[in-house]
Amino acid sequence: MVLYIPFDSLLHRLHPSTKIVGLALLLILTVAFQSPWYQLVILAGVLLLARSAGAFKNLRRILPLMITVLVFSVVSWSLFRRVGDPFWSFGLFTLSTESIRFGFAMGFRLEAMLVSGMVFVSCTKVEEFAYGLRAIGLPFAVSFALSLAFRLVPLFFTRIGTVVQAQQARGLDLKSGNVLQRARKYVPLLVPIFVYAIRDTDLLSMALESKGFGMRGRRTEYLSFPFVWRDYAILGLLLILNIAGWLMPVP
Amino acid sequence: MNQPILTLSDLAFTYRDAPEPALDQINYRHRRGEFTVIVGETGAGKSTLCRCLNGLIPSFTKGRLEGNLQVAGHRDSERPQVYELARIVGLVFQDFEAQLFSTNVELETAFALENFAVDRDQMQTRVDRALNRVGLSGFEQRDPASLSGGEKQRLAIASVLAGSPSVVVMDEPTTDLDPVGKRDIFKLAQVLRNEIEGIILVEHETEHVLSADRILLMHEGRIVQEGPPGEILADPRNVERLGVRPLQTTVLLSQLGLETDALTIQDAAARIRSAGWCVRESARESLDGARRREPYGERPGATQDETPREPQGESTGESPLPVVHIENLVYRYDESTPAVDGVSLDIAAGEFVALVGQNGCGKTTLAKHLNGLHAPTEGEVQVLGKSTADWTLPELGRRVGYVFQNPDHQIFANTVWDEVAFGARNYGFSEEEVGEKVDGALAETGLTGRDLEDPFNLTRGERQQLAVASVLATDPEILVLDEPTTGLDYHGQVAILNLVRRLNESGRTVVMITHSMWVVAEYADRCIIMSGGRVVQDGDVRTCFSNPELLESLYLEAPEAVRLGYEFGLVARSVKEIADCLERVEE
Repeated sequence: MVLYIPFDSLLHRLHPSTKIVGLALLLILTVAFQSPWYQLVILAGVLLLARSAGAFKNLRRILPLMITVLVFSVVSWSLFRRVGDPFWSFGLFTLSTESIRFGFAMGFRLEAMLVSGMVFVSCTKVEEFAYGLRAIGLPFAVSFALSLAFRLVPLFFTRIGTVVQAQQARGLDLKSGNVLQRARKYVPLLVPIFVYAIRDTDLLSMALESKGFGMRGRRTEYLSFPFVWRDYAILGLLLILNIAGWLMPVP
Repeated sequence: MNQPILTLSDLAFTYRDAPEPALDQINYRHRRGEFTVIVGETGAGKSTLCRCLNGLIPSFTKGRLEGNLQVAGHRDSERPQVYELARIVGLVFQDFEAQLFSTNVELETAFALENFAVDRDQMQTRVDRALNRVGLSGFEQRDPASLSGGEKQRLAIASVLAGSPSVVVMDEPTTDLDPVGKRDIFKLAQVLRNEIEGIILVEHETEHVLSADRILLMHEGRIVQEGPPGEILADPRNVERLGVRPLQTTVLLSQLGLETDALTIQDAAARIRSAGWCVRESARESLDGARRREPYGERPGATQDETPREPQGESTGESPLPVVHIENLVYRYDESTPAVDGVSLDIAAGEFVALVGQNGCGKTTLAKHLNGLHAPTEGEVQVLGKSTADWTLPELGRRVGYVFQNPDHQIFANTVWDEVAFGARNYGFSEEEVGEKVDGALAETGLTGRDLEDPFNLTRGERQQLAVASVLATDPEILVLDEPTTGLDYHGQVAILNLVRRLNESGRTVVMITHSMWVVAEYADRCIIMSGGRVVQDGDVRTCFSNPELLESLYLEAPEAVRLGYEFGLVARSVKEIADCLERVEE
């Protein structure tokens, strides 16, 4: 992925399928608990994982988002959710111990989800992601298309940037005017961007075909990841945590 | 013994819905071990031919294919699939950005091998060998996006080589490269010709193709001439007529009335000397005297009633006030190393400045400060006497016209007229003024009478002129052009360059980014060379070319005509200047 950080860690060395399934299990686990304390433990856990995978650099990038998510969910859930015995109310807003507990639980859960996702993209290359999907059983064409999309999105944004600059240089001002006027101003951007996209896709398809893409029959893989004890261990642990989490009475 | 590996007999192709065939009566046999270069003007059918060779035509691009293509080692079939032919004929495209898609170099190289179902234990060796051949060993884990242009193109070649094709076809692989990147590709082709069974390469610039075994000169879908370089390129008039820039050696020889079949610089110089030509005594001084062209405003021919273009105050004659003043400019895209690192320079009104340097040296980043697309991280840029921070972006954009590298980044309107009017309308001129300005811009660019045509039906060269026209319609004092000749054939290049020269002579200041060193030599007055975000050489063009070692160390190379001049101890900017300096000594 774009945010991939080259680093040698246990998480980086995991089999790509383990990373994908592991991420899914981790996300499911966060939904198993309602208590803010349990959520806090999970959050601390994934933060430790992030630390071990050297993913803090990426977390720093989304720090503003993380803070916003936490503050917003704590404040809004606490004020709007009507549970338990409100000890304070003002119009639509109420506050109760339960609603505050819920607000924090939600905040920590969203943070844990964000951080797990970030850890995943920090330690998985696009090709590993595609490999992992194939190992789980997705067809090659689908996994390749997915990984290509990840790769092409940033490229496409640079292209858009060029077109925007080219038109700004000719005096296109996207900031002024009412909604209708502004919408019309996008025409000079859209035409060249479409031309670009069609041309790029055409060229890329030709380059892919010229290297044997679309050949029927067996295909080999350059990458190879052994599925070893640590993969079993991680998946086993997450599975046990999930079973325990979902079977135990909601705290 | 020497069996052909590719045989084309009476091959013809017509694109779907096209009235005329793109290829017609193509007959060609490629023998083992040959290095063939295809030259010809835009639309001659070069790319179409390349795409026929590996089956993209007709299986990917539809149309009517006639005739016969035989590829050794491939069983004949009516409609060979690309993936069948691709094992034998590898194809490399011009646009290296669009053909790379992996996150690291070795995965990019391995892609073809995966598709061809090569066993894993062999794959590693073949990837290593391919990268080694193109000089990218040690780059295995690098992100292709972090490579230079030349490295990216070499990676694209490696990714094709890994599949062990018998023939590698390269469609204009050097067009987007700086001079040294270009030279590396030709060196690589030299090495490869001995290792694989054939190389076919499309190229615009004739000075690089002397090492080829065979040249195919294409025109209007046909191969009009075929033979060794000495035969095909020896007639400069014929080559030029067919839309290809002739070798400057042959141009000089023909101007001096000598036999034109000495193609290399050394051979040509030897022939000229042995014919009794040598440098006139007074010639060196006159070249030095012509070091700088007169400032255009003071030329006798210039119209007197034109409003003075100096930004403020009156022209004091000696040194006009700079229209651009840059002081300690630093620009960073992010926290990493600055793209522009401490640049200070002045550009006077009416100058024609060429901005050169290898890919990624900061030329474009610097130029984008002139119309405010970038704001300085540190330092200051003044345009027309006012800091760019004090200009509004639209107002600055009106005074500094910026022509982007590829006209297709900006063309959107239904008619040529509307396209040109876009800028003028954005700046709020009345419809009447817009009309005047558009007509003026069309006249200046030679597009008068084409106003109702669809821009997308123009040729690439005409679209480039249209892009210039659309900038001219706002009547800018300064013109910035980013590689205006890239992707154009010789006639297209000359047309746009003469246009830029005329605009400069009518008083506009021109800043032109370019990789073509002959363009610098023949058209610019002043040459600014950048390297690693800094200005490393700034002076008039002749001074820049008087130091070949410096150019070499900056990954640049003096163009053919200039190197030809060196043979006579001259620093000449064109063949014409050399010819003017030579005289025949009668015995």
